[in-house]
Amino acid sequence: MALTKFWVIAYRDLVRNRRRTVLTLLAVALGMMVLILMSGMFTGVTQGALRENIRLNTGHLQLRAESYEVEKLSLLAKDLLPDSQTLAAQVQTLPQVESVAPVLWMSGILSTSRESSGVQVTGVDVTAVFHAPIRDGIVGGSYLTPDSRGQILLGSNLAEEMGIGVGQRISLAVGTSDGGLDEGIFTVAGLFDTGIPSYDQNTVVMPLAQAQTFARTGERASTLIVTLKNQEDTDSVAAALQQPGIKVLPWQELNGLFLELMQTGLGFYYMIYTIVILVVAVLIANTLLMSVFERTREMGILAALGMKGRQIMVMVLFEAMILALLGTAVGFIFGSSVVSYLAKIGIDIGNGAAAAVEGMALGNKMYPVFAPGQALVLALFLFAIVTLVSLYPARFAAKLEPVQALHTL
Amino acid sequence: MSVIELENVTKIYKLGEVETRALDNVSLTIDEGEFAAIVGPSGSGKTTMLQMMGCLDKPNSGVVKVNGHSVGQLSANRQADLRREEIGFIFQFFALVPVLSAYENVELPLLLNGIAADERKRRARSLLDAVGLADRIHHRPDQLSGGQQQRVAIARALATQPSLVLADEPTANLDTANGQQAMEIMQRLNQETGTAFVFATHDDQVISFARRVIKMRDGRIVDNGR
Ligand SMILES: Nc1ncnc2c1ncn2[C@@H]1O[C@H](COP(=O)(O)OP(=O)(O)O)[C@@H](O)[C@H]1O
Ligand SMILES: [Mg+2]
Repeated sequence: MALTKFWVIAYRDLVRNRRRTVLTLLAVALGMMVLILMSGMFTGVTQGALRENIRLNTGHLQLRAESYEVEKLSLLAKDLLPDSQTLAAQVQTLPQVESVAPVLWMSGILSTSRESSGVQVTGVDVTAVFHAPIRDGIVGGSYLTPDSRGQILLGSNLAEEMGIGVGQRISLAVGTSDGGLDEGIFTVAGLFDTGIPSYDQNTVVMPLAQAQTFARTGERASTLIVTLKNQEDTDSVAAALQQPGIKVLPWQELNGLFLELMQTGLGFYYMIYTIVILVVAVLIANTLLMSVFERTREMGILAALGMKGRQIMVMVLFEAMILALLGTAVGFIFGSSVVSYLAKIGIDIGNGAAAAVEGMALGNKMYPVFAPGQALVLALFLFAIVTLVSLYPARFAAKLEPVQALHTL
Repeated sequence: MSVIELENVTKIYKLGEVETRALDNVSLTIDEGEFAAIVGPSGSGKTTMLQMMGCLDKPNSGVVKVNGHSVGQLSANRQADLRREEIGFIFQFFALVPVLSAYENVELPLLLNGIAADERKRRARSLLDAVGLADRIHHRPDQLSGGQQQRVAIARALATQPSLVLADEPTANLDTANGQQAMEIMQRLNQETGTAFVFATHDDQVISFARRVIKMRDGRIVDNGR
């Protein structure tokens, strides 16, 4: 078949112009690598941040009073869960549940003799598994016991910013359930570093009982944080926990803002993907156009032999497809290897960058994730666009008049 | 029977303001099996004449007939068909496809014509044998001498068994011995296959082989050799 010969000619022409071919292949491969790296980073950051946020902040499910609004950090009795301990025990009986942690949130002002800073005060059941990251993240002093009195933990970043050390006594003011303001003197028992700068920067932790006393809320809690053995069970457990006066929030809703942000981010990534793909495509088209110019005479000979414009076009397109296919494949292999390697060792992005992303549980190490589906789609796109753009030089070659081609001697 | 007829063909090239009448109202008939030379000084219109005969370009006015059919109204594609089936080309430079071997170069027009594999092989081999290159069939053009390349081009021009082969100064880039050999081969193939040959040349060696000499000057035929 003549078509086979066209492949042969295309292939041999590429081999003949070895340097140009290698350079073009390199460009395509690099483009593909960039695409895979970017997709890996994005997937890694978002999946990682979501996972961390679930682990450290939101859990898989939360139970709150129907009227509770998280922005207000209300301490009014009607906005709180009435009997948090009993409810916690009830939730814990479900086999899918891993841990349950009642939490009381309040906003406060932390003051030293020199400065003060707005903080989120979190009253936690210090024995709850969910708060293990805080216990494991103690970098100075010690963790709390359920009956430690007058003691708090500070995020290490917050302590550092305010120049507070372990053992120091500080003043903490919070609004109380009756609308008043209560102030107490506490001793810093320990400092924690959860690896989430945004969390470590404004969180004060104290035992739940002490927080309830301090804010005069009784046995009430702001929320019940539930983690599951399997994230997939979220919906079924949520359904099982439905009861009047209480709203059950799944992780999707708890991370709604984050997921929305992710969508926006994805749009931005698509834009960059498109740019990378177009740059690569234009590069290939340029290479092919050069190659067509250089081979005007050869094209003329083929035309004189009776080769049709369409056939000449196919031949040039074959060259483009070989370049695109090989380049994409090489880029795919290298790109996925690099991402897989980085997925193991992680990329250090530093505290500063992580802290800049407010309200997101972003670690100071980033772990890209190789997303084969996305990478494959990108590869197909790259291949398709490159082939499409190559229609231009191919048509150019096809339109060369045999005489015109033969006259450029 | 005539294989090519030019009737009152005029071809004008425009380069900016300058108009060149490369062919000026030329009429000429080439019959089956002819072995004719078109001679004339450089710039007299020989190449242009061959291009008209080979349907590589269209005249400004006049009619070109191949095997009795006018080609003026044909699309670029149909003209390509006609070239592929009826006309072989030999150029002054050794116009082989550089990435294909001698064998593949000869085979290419057969592939384009959809000839079956066995027949392709048989024809390509026997033609390469006929031009004395049986032991060079897998060499690429850059591994062949000028004379050898031109012999491959001759074999390729004849592969599709065309009724006419057009050769533009086929010996211009060959030394005397190689030029002589190429002409002898073409003469023999002309006699064996009955394919008509038309050469443009100003080489006396080539002219001495011709059975008909068409003389040109300033885009006109001054002697049609009949
Ligand atoms: N593509 C072209 N553009 C402009 N002028 C041309 C072109 N081809 C040929 N000519 C002119 O036409 C005339 C005939 O050229 P050509 O047919 O090549 O003559 P020959 O082959 O006898 O040397 C010359 O004057 C040449 O300069
Ligand atoms: Mg000429």
